[in-house]
Amino acid sequence: MLAYGFGQRALVGGLIIAATCSFISFFVIVRRLAFVGMGISHAAFGGVSIGIVAGVDPILAAGGFCVLVAGGIGWLSRKGRLHEDTVIGILFASAMAFGVLLVSLAHAYNLDLMSYLFGSILALSWTDVIIAAALSAAVISFLVLFFKELLFFVFDEETATASGVPVRFLYYGLLIAMAVTIVVSIKLVGIILVSALLVIPGATGLQLTRNYRGVIVVSLVAAVTSVVAGLFLSSGFDIPSGATIVLVLFAEFMLAVLFSPRRPYMARIVGKGQS
Amino acid sequence: MKRSCRVAEFFDGSAEGARTLIELDGVRVSLSGHTVLEDISFSLEEKMFLGVVGPNGAGKTTLLRVLLGLVKPDRGSVRVMGMTPVELKHELHHIGYMPQQVVFDPVFPASLFDVVMMGRTCCIGTLRFPTKADRVAVHGGIRMVGLDGLERRPIGELSGGEQKRAFLARALCRETHILLLDEPTAGLDLPAQQQFMELLVELKEHMGLSVIFVSHDVNVLARFADEMVCINRTMHLHGKPQEVLGSEKLKEAYRCEFDFLVGVGGQGPEAGKDC
Repeated sequence: MLAYGFGQRALVGGLIIAATCSFISFFVIVRRLAFVGMGISHAAFGGVSIGIVAGVDPILAAGGFCVLVAGGIGWLSRKGRLHEDTVIGILFASAMAFGVLLVSLAHAYNLDLMSYLFGSILALSWTDVIIAAALSAAVISFLVLFFKELLFFVFDEETATASGVPVRFLYYGLLIAMAVTIVVSIKLVGIILVSALLVIPGATGLQLTRNYRGVIVVSLVAAVTSVVAGLFLSSGFDIPSGATIVLVLFAEFMLAVLFSPRRPYMARIVGKGQS
Repeated sequence: MKRSCRVAEFFDGSAEGARTLIELDGVRVSLSGHTVLEDISFSLEEKMFLGVVGPNGAGKTTLLRVLLGLVKPDRGSVRVMGMTPVELKHELHHIGYMPQQVVFDPVFPASLFDVVMMGRTCCIGTLRFPTKADRVAVHGGIRMVGLDGLERRPIGELSGGEQKRAFLARALCRETHILLLDEPTAGLDLPAQQQFMELLVELKEHMGLSVIFVSHDVNVLARFADEMVCINRTMHLHGKPQEVLGSEKLKEAYRCEFDFLVGVGGQGPEAGKDC
C-alpha cells in the first residue's frame, strides 16, 4: 500500500488526524462531550450538502457550518437555559434534515455525498493533508497552550471561574476545536463514524490509567495504531477503511476494558505481581 | 509572598492591624428580577475570621460571588483590598475560594497534586507552564493540610474529609490573603468537621489570613469565628459570636425558635432547634 502515493497520503493524513482526535478525546471524555461530538459531526451533513449544492468545497462548507453549530450549541445551552443534550438533539436533527432537503431538491444524491458520509481516505490529496496538518496544528496549539486552564475548567468550573479562568472562552474554544477536528476527520472515517474517533481513544485511556498524562498517551497510541492497522487491513482485505479503523479502535477499547486495572480480577493479578 | 502592585500598595499604605480588607456598603443584588440581597453593609479587618450564617436561600453564596466580582450589585459599593470588583479581576490569585460542593467524576484522571496545582493557574499566568516554584508551592500547600505522602493518589480515591482538605490546599497554594469558604464542612461527619475547623484556624493564624466562612451551622461558627454576620436577604446581625447567639434577631432571621447552650471558646455550644 505504501508503494503508492494514495497510500502514503492516507497514512500521513491518518496519523495527523489520529493525533488530533486522541488529544481532544481526553477533554471529550472528562467533560462528557461525546453527544456534542455526535451532534456536530451529524450537523456536518448540512454543511457538506450546502457545499455540494453551492459548488464550493464541501469540507470548507462543512467547516463553517460545524463551527456555527458548535457555537450555537454553546450559546443556546448557556443563554437559553436548556440542557446541552436538548440543544444538540434539536440542532443535529435540524441540520441533518436541512442537508437531506437540500440534496433532495438539488437531486445531488451521488457517490460524492456517500464518500463524505462514510469517508474516503484513499482519495486524500497532498493539499488535503496540508490543510489537515495546519488545522490540526491550530487545535493542538489551543489544547497545549491552555491545557492547565482547560483541566481546571473541566474539573471544577465554579472554582475556575472564581479564580479568573476565562471559562466562557475555554468552553467555546473547546467546542470550536471539536468542530474543526470533526471536519478534518470526515475524509478519514466519514460523518457517520467520526464521533468514534473523538470518544473511543480517550475512553480507552481512561480504562488503563488514572492520570491525565497516561490517558492522553494511551489515547494517542490507540488512535495511531487503529489508523495504521485499519488502513493496512482495509487495503489487504479490500474492505472500507473508515469502518475498519473504527472497528480496530473498538477492539482496542474492549481489550482495555478486559485488562483494566479497575477490574477486580486485574487488581488481584496486579496485587500478586507486586507482592 | 509575591504581591502585585495594587495589592502591595494596599498593604504598604496602611499600618498592620488597621487594614480593612473587605468593605460592603448598602449592597443590593437582584438575580432574574428578584432581590437576593438588600442593604448589606459590613467590613472585615485583616486577620479576622468572619462567620456568615443564615437560612437556606438567604443569599450567603451570592454574597461570596459579589466579593469575587462574579455578581454585580445593583446598588452600593464593594471594596476588596481597596479594589472594586472590576479591578479585582486581575488580582483573584490573592483570594482563595472553596465552593459549597465540587461535583466531579470519581474517576477523573487527576492526582491530589494535579488538583492542588489547579489553584496555581492564575499565579502561573496564561500561556505559561508551571515552574519549580509552582511545584514547591503545591507541595507546601499539601503539607500544610496534612496530606503529604498522598500527592500521587487519584483525587476520587481520597476520603470526603481528605478531598475537602485538598480543596483547602488548592485555595491556599496561591498568594492568598483572603479565604472565602462556602459551607466547606457540608457532608462531613462531626469528627471530620472538627478536624477541618481546627486545621483552618491553625492555618489562619500561621498564614495571617482573613477568612469569610459561610455556614448553616451557627454553633460551629460561633466557636471559631471572631465575628458573625447573620443575613436573610438583608442584614439581621453583625457582632461577636456571643452577641449574635444571644440575640432575638437570630430567631427572626431563621424565622424559628433556637435554644442555645452557649459555650463559645469552650466545648462548643449545643443547640436545639424548633422550627
